[in-house]
Amino acid sequence: MKKLILVNGLAALLVLLAITFFSNCATSNVAMNKSGAQLWGENCVRCHNTPSPETFSDVEWDVAVMHMRVRANLTDEEAKKITDFLKTAN
Amino acid sequence: MKKLILIIVIFWGSYSLLSAQEDIKQQVKELTNTVDSLENITKPGKSKFLLRGYAHAGLEITDNESTFEGGSFNPIFLYKQSDRLLFESELEFELEDRQLSIGLEYANFSYLLTKSVTLRLGKMLLPFGIFVDRMHPAWINKFSSKPLGVGHGGILPTSDIGVELSGGAYLGNSKINYSAYVINGPRLNEGDDEPEEAGQLHFDNFPDNNNNKMIGGRLGFLPLSNSSLELGFSGMYGKVGSRGTEYSDIGAFLYAIDLSYVQSLSFMSSVLSVKAQYSGVNVDQASYIDTEDTLNTGATYTFNNTSTTYFVEGALRPALLNNNFFRNLEFAVRYSELDTPEGSMWDSKLNQWELGLNYWLDWRTVFKFTYRITQGEAGHDEGGESPIGNAFLFHWAIGF
Repeated sequence: MKKLILVNGLAALLVLLAITFFSNCATSNVAMNKSGAQLWGENCVRCHNTPSPETFSDVEWDVAVMHMRVRANLTDEEAKKITDFLKTAN
Repeated sequence: MKKLILIIVIFWGSYSLLSAQEDIKQQVKELTNTVDSLENITKPGKSKFLLRGYAHAGLEITDNESTFEGGSFNPIFLYKQSDRLLFESELEFELEDRQLSIGLEYANFSYLLTKSVTLRLGKMLLPFGIFVDRMHPAWINKFSSKPLGVGHGGILPTSDIGVELSGGAYLGNSKINYSAYVINGPRLNEGDDEPEEAGQLHFDNFPDNNNNKMIGGRLGFLPLSNSSLELGFSGMYGKVGSRGTEYSDIGAFLYAIDLSYVQSLSFMSSVLSVKAQYSGVNVDQASYIDTEDTLNTGATYTFNNTSTTYFVEGALRPALLNNNFFRNLEFAVRYSELDTPEGSMWDSKLNQWELGLNYWLDWRTVFKFTYRITQGEAGHDEGGESPIGNAFLFHWAIGF
């Protein structure tokens, strides 16, 4: 029974990996048209208060956003837009 | 004579002008060199280092004692070696039992394989549910303590050593994120060292106690286009008994379902946050030496080794008000339950209410007032202290 659960779980994860690989084709216009400011407001607050852009310098934001990209599973485009916004607004 | 004077004046004037031009050119050249050298000093290289972290401390008043708690200081080291490679590490300095304890929360590096796949290797916080991975830092956790069953000494995993693939992507207006990992996994307490905890899983399993590796993952689904709602499903399975013992085939299956909903409520000028997590731990049934039966040496006992725990918390902060004082207030409430196996020496059935009032000095500095009510039965008390009773906790936390 547990092996069945494991196999099914792994199969599901493999399918999801495949979906993820090809998902760029499925990105909607709504998602594509989101600004860096909007993505910053939507994503940060899911876990913690939204940080002020003035908190870090441009160089520091490069590192901080990459950290959050890995930890919060942000997409490549989201991370780039958020970084650009923070560097412009700080 | 006048002509001579005029010529001298013109000559002197021209000479002065030329000298001034040369001076200005020289000054401009010097300034340009200075700016260039400053640019070279401040110009970022490809390697970028950032020190972040958090700290907290507080006052805790229970039914029996009151004490200032040292809390902890957790520096986080971030090092971006390139646009693809990031190293992250968190240390924890904590005062407990009259000693300073130092722990390595995580230390790993992440490599961006593609736009949607990140490879992570090392000791990492496990994306099992949402509390440990996202909510455990003191400046993020809205209460002065953790929910029942979660954190160090709890029944759920916090961090482990292994390899992970993770990422996120859009599916139309929705989003998904995923994590799949192979880790050492927990080890089963077989009763040799701490017989009162026989059957428990311990998550400090390095080096691994067997050749089997635990496989697990989490799938997150964000159905709304503004990413305000996330549903998560986590699971892991592997053998937990030590090699070469009668427990070598004992396996464990852990699972969690989590929910996160964060939304601005304009009609209340507030931000609402709701988080919940339900987790279960199923360990194959086994027999353990009964150390309390002094008449029959070697007698064993067994029990259905299944534990569950869950929490639901909500927080409301009127962050959209114009009044500076009220917009920094936050009201929070959390309920959690822990149910460990009946028949084990660590059998407990606990429930806990936490009521919180927080005041935010800025986005990452908070004063937390928590009133906690814990009820139920605890078979094995942590450190000889009963978790049952009421407590008032006042903590201050800062993220940096």
